[in-house]
Amino acid sequence: MTHTIGIDIGSGAVKSVLFRLEDGKEPQWLAKRCERIRRRDPMTLAREGYDAVMAEAGLAANDVDYTATTGEGENVKFATGHFYSMTTHARGGVFLQPGISAVVDVGALNGRAIYVDERGKVLAYKMTSQCASGSGQFLENIARYLGVAVEEIGELSKSSTNPEKVSSICAVLAETDVINMVSRGIATPDILKGIHLSMASRIVKLLKVTGIKTGTALVTGGLALDAGLMAAICEEMVNEKVTVTANSHVDSIYAGAIGAALWGGYRHRKLQELEERAAA
Amino acid sequence: MRCFIGIDLGSTTTKAVVIDENQNILGRGITNSRSNYDTAAAIAKQEALVNSRFHLFRQALGQTGALNGALDGFLGQLERDFRAEQYAEQLVDLGDTCRRSLATAHFGDASKAVGEALDEVFRRLQVDAPAQFAPGAKRKSDFFRDIAGSQYLAAGEAVAKEAGIRYDFLLNLFDRSIIEVENRVYGDSIKRHLLAALERAFIALPETASRRAQVEAPIKGILDTEMEETYTVGTGYGRARLPFSKEHIRSEILCHGLGAHVMYPGTATVLDIGGQDTKAIQVDPTGIVESFQMNDRCAAGCGRYLGYIADEMNMGLHELGPLAMQSTKTIRINSTCTVFAGAELRDRLALGDKREDIMAGLHRAIILRAMSILARSGGIRDQFTFTGGVAKNEAAVKSLKELIAENYGELTLNINPDSIYTGALGGATFAWRAVVEEGKSAEAR
Repeated sequence: MTHTIGIDIGSGAVKSVLFRLEDGKEPQWLAKRCERIRRRDPMTLAREGYDAVMAEAGLAANDVDYTATTGEGENVKFATGHFYSMTTHARGGVFLQPGISAVVDVGALNGRAIYVDERGKVLAYKMTSQCASGSGQFLENIARYLGVAVEEIGELSKSSTNPEKVSSICAVLAETDVINMVSRGIATPDILKGIHLSMASRIVKLLKVTGIKTGTALVTGGLALDAGLMAAICEEMVNEKVTVTANSHVDSIYAGAIGAALWGGYRHRKLQELEERAAA
Repeated sequence: MRCFIGIDLGSTTTKAVVIDENQNILGRGITNSRSNYDTAAAIAKQEALVNSRFHLFRQALGQTGALNGALDGFLGQLERDFRAEQYAEQLVDLGDTCRRSLATAHFGDASKAVGEALDEVFRRLQVDAPAQFAPGAKRKSDFFRDIAGSQYLAAGEAVAKEAGIRYDFLLNLFDRSIIEVENRVYGDSIKRHLLAALERAFIALPETASRRAQVEAPIKGILDTEMEETYTVGTGYGRARLPFSKEHIRSEILCHGLGAHVMYPGTATVLDIGGQDTKAIQVDPTGIVESFQMNDRCAAGCGRYLGYIADEMNMGLHELGPLAMQSTKTIRINSTCTVFAGAELRDRLALGDKREDIMAGLHRAIILRAMSILARSGGIRDQFTFTGGVAKNEAAVKSLKELIAENYGELTLNINPDSIYTGALGGATFAWRAVVEEGKSAEAR
C-alpha cells in the first residue's frame, strides 16, 4: 500500500490531494484541499496544504511514500519529485472522467488543450502564452470592476439575452473597456457573457489545433466550475464546427494535483522495483 | 475673472488646468477616472478651480502681508483641513451606500453579522480619519477611493476575523458601493468645507487667530469672486464622451504636443507615457504635431504596467521608483504581457532575487518598449521632453537617460514635475487661443 500526495501550484491557487494506491485496486482519493493564493507565499501554502491533507487522512509524514508537485512547484523543498503540467492534467483528467479524449485546462494565467489517449498519455497539446487576455485572472479582474462576486458570474452570464461582443482585450486594460461598456448602458450579464464567449473562442481554437476530431473534452482548472463559461464553450464548439462535447467535473480544479499524485505513485513503484532488482 | 480650462480625460486619471487671460497657470486638478467620464471631468475641473482659489488666496494674503512668514504653514493647514472635511463627508456617504448595498446583497444568514461588522468597520474608519490628514501623513494617493479603500480593506480584514465572517462579503460591499460614491460631485459643499476648514485652521494655529480679520477678508473676497468658465477644451482617451460640442474637443496628440511646447518652447520630440498608452510625438517649432506613433490596447509599456506591479507588490505606485533606484544589478524581465510579468516577478522573488533588482528590470522593460515606439516615430531630436505620469518615476527616467546616451548621444532632456498635466495645459492653451486669438465663444453641445 502506497500513499502519495500531489500538490499543484497554480498562479491563482494551490491544490493538494492525498491518494492511497494498492495493487489491483482503483486509486483511493483520501483528502483534498484548495487554497487561493491571494498574494500569499505559494511555498507556505504548499506546506499548509501538505499538512492539511495528511491531517484529513489521519496520516503522519512517514506514512507518505511520495510527494509530487506540478505547476510552478519546482522549488518546493519537501517534495520528492516534480511533474510537468501537461502530463499531470492529462492523467488527472482521465482519472476524473475515464474515456475522455481531451483535457482543456483553463487556469488563472494559462489555457491549454491536451489531446490524450485512454490511459492519459499526451498525444498533442497547445497552450496560450505571452498574453493574459482571456485568462481566469482576466475574468476575475472584470468581475471585480463590475462588483460581482466570483460565484455569481456563471448564473449572470447564463441570463444574458444580448451578449456584448468583445474582441480580445488586454487583461490589465480591461478595466477601462468595462467602464466604457457600463457607461454605454450595457447590462452586466451581457458584458460577462460577451467575455465568456471571447474566452471560449480562444479555448475552442486551442483545442481545434491539437487535431482532435471527436469525443469528450473535460474542462479542468479553476474556471471549470463557471457555468457561464461552460455554456459559452459549448456554443463556440458548435460555431467552430468542432464535434467534441465539453463538460466539467465538480473536482475539476484538482486535476493537476490528482495527476501529480498518481504519477508520483507510478514513479515510486518504478523506483522500488529498481531497488529490489539492485538488491537481488 | 475669465478662466480658460483644459481637461485631459485619461484612462487612469483625469486632469484639468485653469489658466488666466495672460496664460498664467492658476490651478491644476486631478481625479481618478474610474468613475464615469462626465463625473471625472466635472471633478477634475472642480479640483482645478479649488486649487486656483488656493493660488489666489496665496497671492492675496502675500500682498497684504497679514501672515508674514506663516503663509505656507497656514495654507498647508487650510488645505489639509479642507481635505479632511471632504473626506469626512464622503466617508459618511460611503457608509450609507454600503448599508444600502447590504440590503440588496445575497449573503443569506450571514447578512445580520455582516451588517454589524460593517458598522464596526466604519466606526474604525471614522476614528482613523483625522490621522490621514495630519501634517506629514503618508498616503498611497490623494484619491478618496485609495485612501478609504486601503483603510477599509485593513479594517475589514481585522473585523472579519474578529467577527468570524467572510472577508469577501465586506470586500464585495465596498466594490459595489465605491463606484456610486465616486460618482458624486459634492459641488455644493466646497464653499462650506472651505469655511469650516478656515475655522479649524484658526484653532490649529492659534497664533494666526489674532490676525483673523486680516486673514479672513481676502479669503472671503476670493470665495465671492466668480471664476467664469470662459472656454473649455477637452482631450484625452475619453474625450469623445465629454459633454462638450465638437468645437471643444482636440486630440490628445495635438494637446500633448502643444502642452510640451508651452512648457519648453525648444521641444522637438515628446515622449508621453500615460496610464494606458505610450505616445512618441514630433513637433515643429510652434508646437504643432508633425508625426507620431503610439502603442495602444496593451498595458505592456504603459504606466498601467507599473500600476499593476505596484498592486502585485502591495506598494504605492510612487514607491516603485525609489525601490528600483536601490538596485545594484538589473534583472532581465522576459515576459511582455503585464500579467505574466507579474507572475515572473513572483517567481523571481520566490527564487530569492532582490526586490530592487527585479524592479529595476521592470522599469527598463517599459522604457525599452518606449524606445522602439520613439524610433518608429522618427527618433529622438533635441530637445526631448518626457511627459506623463511615468516621467515622475526616477527609475524610469534613469533607464531612459541610459538608453538615450547609448542610442542618440548627448541631448537636452526636459522633465517638468507637473508633466502629468501636459495634455490639459495644451487643452487650456487651445481654449485661450480660441477666445483671445480667434474670437470664438463657448458653444453648447
